[in-house]
Amino acid sequence: MTKPSAPIYLPRSSVRAYTYDGKPVFIKRRSRDTTQLHPSNTNVRIGNLLDVPIHRLMDDISVIAARRLAAEPRPAGSFSNSSSSDMLWVDQYRPSKYTDLLGDERVHREVLSWVKEWDECVFGRSANTRGKKRARDGDDLPQDKYRRPPEKIMLLSGPPGLGKTTLAHVVAKQAGYNVFEINASDARSAQVVEDRIRPAVEIGFSVGSTKPNLVVIDEIDGATGGNEGSAGFIQKLVQLALEKPYAGRLRKKDRKGKQPLLRPIICICNDLNAQVLSKLRPISRIIRFSKPADFLLVKRLRQICEWEVLQADNRALSTLVGIAQGDMRGCLNTLQFFKARNQTVTETMVRNATVGLKESDANYQVVMNDLFIPMSQKRVKDLGLSGNDQAKYVDRLSRQLDGSGIMDRIALGCFEHYAKIHQHDATFTRYLKGNDWLLSYDTLSGSMHAEREFALLPYLSYCLVPYYPLFQQKGGPRVERPKEYWDNYNKTKASEEVYRSLAHSARSGGSGVGSNYRNLANEPTLHLEFAPYLNRIISPPLRPVNSQVIRPEEKDILSCLVGIMVALELRFVQERSDDGQLVYRLDPPVDVFVTYDGKRASDIGPSRYAIRQLVATEIDARLASKHVEALERSKVKQTLPSLRRYVPAGDFALEGSGDQGDGALASVTSDAPAAKRAKAVADLFEKPALDFFGRPIVAKPASKRPSHAGPLPQGSTESAFRASFRFKEGNSAAVRKPVKMASFM
Amino acid sequence: MDNLVIQYRPRKLDELHYHHGLSERLKSLASSGDFPHMLFYGPSGAGKKTRIACTLRELFGPGVEKLKIDQRVFMTPSRRKLDVNVVQSNYHIELTPSEVGNYDRVVIQEILKEIAQTQQVDISARHRFKVVIINEADSLTRDAQAALRRTMEKYTTNMRLILCANSTSRLIAPIRSRCLLVRVPAPSMEDVVGVLEYVAGRACRGNSPDHAACTVVAKEAAGNVRKAILALEALRMQNPLFSEPITVAKPDWETYCQRVGDMIVQEQSPARVMEVRAKYYELLSHCIPPTVIIKTVADRVVDKVDENLKADVMHWAAIYENRMRVGNKKIFHLEAWTVKVMSIVKHFFYDIDLTGFDDYP
Repeated sequence: MTKPSAPIYLPRSSVRAYTYDGKPVFIKRRSRDTTQLHPSNTNVRIGNLLDVPIHRLMDDISVIAARRLAAEPRPAGSFSNSSSSDMLWVDQYRPSKYTDLLGDERVHREVLSWVKEWDECVFGRSANTRGKKRARDGDDLPQDKYRRPPEKIMLLSGPPGLGKTTLAHVVAKQAGYNVFEINASDARSAQVVEDRIRPAVEIGFSVGSTKPNLVVIDEIDGATGGNEGSAGFIQKLVQLALEKPYAGRLRKKDRKGKQPLLRPIICICNDLNAQVLSKLRPISRIIRFSKPADFLLVKRLRQICEWEVLQADNRALSTLVGIAQGDMRGCLNTLQFFKARNQTVTETMVRNATVGLKESDANYQVVMNDLFIPMSQKRVKDLGLSGNDQAKYVDRLSRQLDGSGIMDRIALGCFEHYAKIHQHDATFTRYLKGNDWLLSYDTLSGSMHAEREFALLPYLSYCLVPYYPLFQQKGGPRVERPKEYWDNYNKTKASEEVYRSLAHSARSGGSGVGSNYRNLANEPTLHLEFAPYLNRIISPPLRPVNSQVIRPEEKDILSCLVGIMVALELRFVQERSDDGQLVYRLDPPVDVFVTYDGKRASDIGPSRYAIRQLVATEIDARLASKHVEALERSKVKQTLPSLRRYVPAGDFALEGSGDQGDGALASVTSDAPAAKRAKAVADLFEKPALDFFGRPIVAKPASKRPSHAGPLPQGSTESAFRASFRFKEGNSAAVRKPVKMASFM
Repeated sequence: MDNLVIQYRPRKLDELHYHHGLSERLKSLASSGDFPHMLFYGPSGAGKKTRIACTLRELFGPGVEKLKIDQRVFMTPSRRKLDVNVVQSNYHIELTPSEVGNYDRVVIQEILKEIAQTQQVDISARHRFKVVIINEADSLTRDAQAALRRTMEKYTTNMRLILCANSTSRLIAPIRSRCLLVRVPAPSMEDVVGVLEYVAGRACRGNSPDHAACTVVAKEAAGNVRKAILALEALRMQNPLFSEPITVAKPDWETYCQRVGDMIVQEQSPARVMEVRAKYYELLSHCIPPTVIIKTVADRVVDKVDENLKADVMHWAAIYENRMRVGNKKIFHLEAWTVKVMSIVKHFFYDIDLTGFDDYP
């Protein structure tokens, strides 16, 4: 701008400016006509050019190509390659070398290294990789006697068509094994394990082969599980794998046909979480297959197309891979189908031919994501939907829901997920609608199951579809598996169990002492009235003092409490808690019914250790006295009346009075004879010395005594009585004082 | 020492404390010789089972109190085993078929057939028939009720039925028409206080609670004698001298439900919905029946909300409770009702605002 040059005359359109030293400068305006007009022209033209998007054009081209191909007479040479036409491509192009395998290298290497770990056991040589691995892992693994890997079974899992079977075969071949394949599709009984797998594993070599066997059990999730004692396939397999190695000398003689597993077994399944596999999972090494990268598949498909002289553009192939979601087998089958018709593959053809392929493969996560998250562009492309189809969600989603087959879980998932989504919903309109749909779902499915009206099933999915318009949101919280409901379910089961045991003891336990609690054992009464009040009844505010120095009112309460607890078979069980302290736990734990949100009810005082100990000893004493009553009653029946006369109750008291020292057992029961008996029986039941006829042996010296009392010296009298004592852990408030033995005798 | 409820339970019709007219009628019915099928109904804790037991004793004498309790195993058509607790004497058998849920039909059929086909073995028995007592008859499924109706007519020589239910509304009409309906209403406040004073006078010699204390307990129990006596016993254990102030313990689930009701009224937001849901889960996991939950919470909400909303809240509670009985997952229904109530409450406040705007010129 500040050009220090001589002023030049400029046209009017120029702009005048001044330099620092005041010289006027005229800046000429650039003429617009050419430079300004031309770009605008080209812009328009480019806009015109892009009027039809490029992918649409490509589609058109491929459609035209397809049409031309269809119109053309089929070239005679298409079937000339006879060797390939009568064979499935899937078999023909199955990788036979380890290096040919597609997919995640790490998975392959893991499988191979597991098989290699068997080398020491099977071939008797140490694998090369072994040494390295050892050095890294350290020697913490306990060495197996047969030098087998810690897990005897490998479990390969993943969706179909990813090459699990192929991998197993290739790895076996690579490691120098002969594959012995059991297909659970045709043989899924437990007998197969005994008849075929066990021989194959035990003999170790198949006929006419020098290579050792490697058992591949395909499709194991279709096998019989064998629960509750019945010997199913899996059960047998687990047994086979876990057979203990034993001393070599016993072999064949004692435990015929029970050799340890000495050959690797690879199991292949689609659904790792299948119920039947629950026993197998913990003892096997689990490898999960994931979808290989799309471009690898496309590359391989491209190669195959070249070999097969099939013209296919990359777009068509990647569409195919996208639709198949990594299922190589599906891709190859589709391609072979095209090949049978013509020489070229176009995208439209792929779309048309694969309608319905992989539709049904919808697991929980996928369905929930589709319900709550608007579809991503990639997924739209994969499913091959146009803009219009995308807007029509009802059909698509309901089909997907139907296909998933886990609608109940999805409903639960919806229930747990919808409230997590942070959306502004001031008047709860959306919540109301969502809940209404959920309720109609629940009502419908409830009556469907109750009345066995399974014709309603097709309508169920429509009740969940509305969650898409109501709650769909980009980037919302992650969809999770419904777990609250199951947690709650488990908790409910646990407390039902407690209720049941309480009800049981109310019914039967009460009857033993002549009381009658069964009217309280009915379900609603028990849950709503008895259980909460029972907890208050059994936790009175007692002072933790010794039972002898207790006040009379408290004594009443204590005896009441003990009576109720005995009648309902409630006990305090001594246990050591995690931090090593001794605690008394209520058993059955009826205190769960007053524990809400992990807190006990505020109006029930905390139950202290000392009180519980006191009550527990009282219960023991009461039970013991009951026992002795029952015993005496039965003795009346059993023993002769003459013998009975010589067994006065006083003898028992004498026998038991050795207990005075520890004090803990002293009783506060109201009537004195019962107290004596309680003391007596504590010892009696430590050593229930009964003779052959069930009569107590203690009675004998007692009955003899009158005849021998005079002549016998002091020493023999001592031998007739056994002074017994018992050490009780814990503190007692008893007074210790020296007592002579003679005072007991 | 026994629980008070059991210890002071009347055994004869003469010993009953209230509804004397009813006792007289039962007595004359038992002595008349033709005893009909009966259906006792009335609220919980009114004394239905006590009256049934007394009537039985009136019918057969003290022999009915010699009870045998055992667990019978039934097989469903689908080879599932069902355990049912059965209480029986020589003269009667008592069972609660609702213990086995949907399979109660099997139990009903088997037991009734068995009883109907055997004659009374005791020659000296006063009546030729045996009595079958079915507890919780109103939770019998439709199938089981249908199975009952024919046997009730066919085997009257060998068997009489006594049904015990909370309400007759869930029993099908044919059953109701075949029974003599006996309503055992909840005792009045004075009756409950009377019972409590009687029990307390016997149980706590020396320091028994005074009239005022009994009234407090009776008020809390609201006509449920069993609850009243249980509360009295809890009170005696906690507070043996019945010293002032007397606080009657409420069942924990009730307190908890009321807290949930308060939460709903306090705040209406998605976060609160989640909190309330957690509370519902807690209640359900304690085996509190969902219908009881919705009822108790609704009672509390009705107490707290504006006058204009009370009817609405109860209306929706009734509707959702009804749906809940059909559905499977109770928590869905509880939450749906909560959301409904929250939305009603919110709308109510918005409406006030809006009308205010309208009035403004």
